[in-house]
Amino acid sequence: MEALFSLPFQVFICPNLKLRKPSWLKTPSPMFVFALILVSYFLVTGGVIYDVIVEPPSIGSTTDANGKSKPVAFMAYRINGQYIMEGLASSFMFLLGGCGFIILDQTNKPSLPKLNRIILLAIGLLAILVGFFVSRVFIKFKLPSYLGN
Amino acid sequence: INSKQLKMLQSKVLMRHPMLKWFLMSHEKQSYVLQLAILSLAMILSFCTRLFSVIRFGSMIHEFDPYFNYRTTKYLAEKGFYEFHNWFDDRAWYPLGRIIGGTIYPGLMVTSTALYHLLNTFNFTVDIREVCVFLAPLFSSLTTLVTFLMTRELHSTGAGLFAACCISIVPGYISRSVAGSYDNEGIAIFCMLLTYYFWIKSVKTGSLCWSACCALSYFYMVSAWGGYVFLVNLIPIHVLCLMLTGRFHHKIYVAYSTFYCLGTVLSMQISFVGFQPVQTSEHMGALGVFGLCQIYSFVEYVRSKLTKENFTALFRTILMFSLGCFALFFAVLTLSGKVAPWTGRFYSLLDPSYAKNNIPIIASVSEHQPTAWSSFYFDLHVLTIMFPVGLYYCFKNLTDHNIFVILYGVTSIYFAGVMVRLMLVLAPIMCILGGIGLSSVASTYVRNIDLTRKEDKKSKKSADNYPIKSEVALVVVCIVGAFMMFYAQHCVWVTSEAYSSPSIVLSAETAHGRIIFDDYREAYWWLRRNTPPDAKVMSWWDYGYQISAIANRTVLVDNNTWNNTHISRVGQAMSSPEERAYPIMRELDVDYVLVIFGGLSGYSSDDINKFLWMVRIGGSTPSGEHIKEHDYYTPQGEFRVDKLGSKTLLNCLMYKLSYYRFGSMYTQTGQPSGYDRVRNAEIGNKDFELTYLEEAYTTEHWIVRIYKVKKPDNRGNLV
Repeated sequence: MEALFSLPFQVFICPNLKLRKPSWLKTPSPMFVFALILVSYFLVTGGVIYDVIVEPPSIGSTTDANGKSKPVAFMAYRINGQYIMEGLASSFMFLLGGCGFIILDQTNKPSLPKLNRIILLAIGLLAILVGFFVSRVFIKFKLPSYLGN
Repeated sequence: INSKQLKMLQSKVLMRHPMLKWFLMSHEKQSYVLQLAILSLAMILSFCTRLFSVIRFGSMIHEFDPYFNYRTTKYLAEKGFYEFHNWFDDRAWYPLGRIIGGTIYPGLMVTSTALYHLLNTFNFTVDIREVCVFLAPLFSSLTTLVTFLMTRELHSTGAGLFAACCISIVPGYISRSVAGSYDNEGIAIFCMLLTYYFWIKSVKTGSLCWSACCALSYFYMVSAWGGYVFLVNLIPIHVLCLMLTGRFHHKIYVAYSTFYCLGTVLSMQISFVGFQPVQTSEHMGALGVFGLCQIYSFVEYVRSKLTKENFTALFRTILMFSLGCFALFFAVLTLSGKVAPWTGRFYSLLDPSYAKNNIPIIASVSEHQPTAWSSFYFDLHVLTIMFPVGLYYCFKNLTDHNIFVILYGVTSIYFAGVMVRLMLVLAPIMCILGGIGLSSVASTYVRNIDLTRKEDKKSKKSADNYPIKSEVALVVVCIVGAFMMFYAQHCVWVTSEAYSSPSIVLSAETAHGRIIFDDYREAYWWLRRNTPPDAKVMSWWDYGYQISAIANRTVLVDNNTWNNTHISRVGQAMSSPEERAYPIMRELDVDYVLVIFGGLSGYSSDDINKFLWMVRIGGSTPSGEHIKEHDYYTPQGEFRVDKLGSKTLLNCLMYKLSYYRFGSMYTQTGQPSGYDRVRNAEIGNKDFELTYLEEAYTTEHWIVRIYKVKKPDNRGNLV
């Protein structure tokens, strides 16, 4: 049996290679994976797939009474239609709100200096409130009859 | 006072004020009663919020697909299971017919019929239609319960209660489970969450019993919805992820092996699924991971028996050999066609541009469009903000079951982004992760609240580096409460305005009050009462199920859209002029043609607006090669129905059937006769007569128009 295995090596010479797994390749930390997921969440909720398939313009435009064309930021009256910019702006707002809560969680560490804690609290609360209320304002632009009758 | 005197005092107080019993219960009992109360309120709420359309329009089945489910449920209730299982329907897809027994997911019908028979044995003689209408709200209550149980396993009871409250009113789920929407998704979400709950239990305990329950509920899921493919790929991905992160142990081995073996055998009992679990690529992932589990466990076993050097040598050779063999084997199977590649509908999830370029029917369904940001916000509101928070808390303490939830969330975000319809699959995990996020935030901050009086606080020295701790905590908890209130307001508004329309009955607000347009049912009942029972009706495929169920007549094409060539033939008939459409209609034995027209009432989902799809699908097969889409546009590339419209469009059958006699109608003040209120134009071809058809019936608001196809003359074409 050994003779059979040694046959190829009568013809071939093994090169003197030292192959090792590169040292920079290791399993990523949970928070790194979480950051990647946040980036993909930003893209998907911003409607990137919709943008790729339907190819809407980045900003819409209408012509007003004088014939001049005015830019339109939000595609109105349609729930499932968007321009590229409005999609990315809105998903940024979602992410801002989410990050506000994450920052708030970080402020509970007992070993934080006082100034840092106050700044983090302020940023966190501001992010949450801005994210939530601006999203509401955006959907009101899109659907003028939102929360009306 | 000692304990005996205390007890006497307590019983005296209780006798005079029995309501104070609450305060004398132990904390565990209090919290248990609170949990029960909140959960029951959430379940009742989820049932009630889905009843808007029943209150406004009455108890009827909505949309298109539910009518098919209703018709098959009636058949099952009347004729029994064996007749249902072997049913060949010759009244749809004339002349081809449809094997209903083998092309249907029977879970929904069997559930309704079981409930119907159960109620009738107790002499509650409800009609089968009522059971069908109210089945989805009932199952949504059960979904609320299962979500609570699942989130409690994943995190804590508080998170479970938050998640249950969120899912009871989340619009993404309500849209497909409102009362009257009798569709597979109504029970499928319940089955899916039940399967996931049992899976998490079996991963946590490693017990055979829970894994068997998981397999049984997987069987119920497979019988209910084609979306079981998502489950059968998510669970193997979870196991694979656990292997890669080094968390694989005997509990997961037991759980997955039991689930895969029992689940696959059970899923093959459904005739529609048949042998797919061993033949199609969509199921190969599960098989692969099953094999990998066995190999991994065997390797671990061998490693525990051998010395280190022997083991590494053996391991390397076997790994390389087996990987090579397996890859070769799999490639041979795929290339030789034994293992079918991913089918169209599922392939378009992986490559979203596939449907747009290759299969116009899939691309034309509005539910299959990709999702814009406003659909996310509209269907989920504050949960879009809480989803990353929940993910963060899951990543903070990674456990085996948290990894499952993370994978579920990430994959369903992607799929919901590709297809609007799959927002339904995203809604439960958004609620679960949102519940986890909200509960973690609330519980962290409620701990900081210190409601003792000001004088006591001064004596307690609060940590110097955390000023106004209690006030900030109060603010945060109030924000969480306010978010939930805004969420509730949004969800109820969305349910009431957007998702409670039966589609078969339309309503509009005018200065004189509310008008109801019941034209569809009027036309179908006219067909049912005034045409011979074996009459064949040609219409576009959208209305096939409704015509079969309500009018009880044979149709040519319906919403199942399984035969593109047949639909293309109907499209060719609609797009051709009358002389060329008549031979097609004679070939297909058509007696009546039904078109939907919105020009008089302003109803915008009519056949003229869908006409370009008829042209595209009609021109997509060899017999329709003469039909080219650009013939129907003006030279400038516009789709117009007025004088400037293309001659091909103004003379085709669909145009003539929609606008017959419309040229003499005055529709709007200040506009000439024949003004189309949807296209906002005066029609170009007004006074024409039909040669081969005659008008049979037009409904009150001209929404549905039925024409009779004339028989050929006795003495040939003297025209």
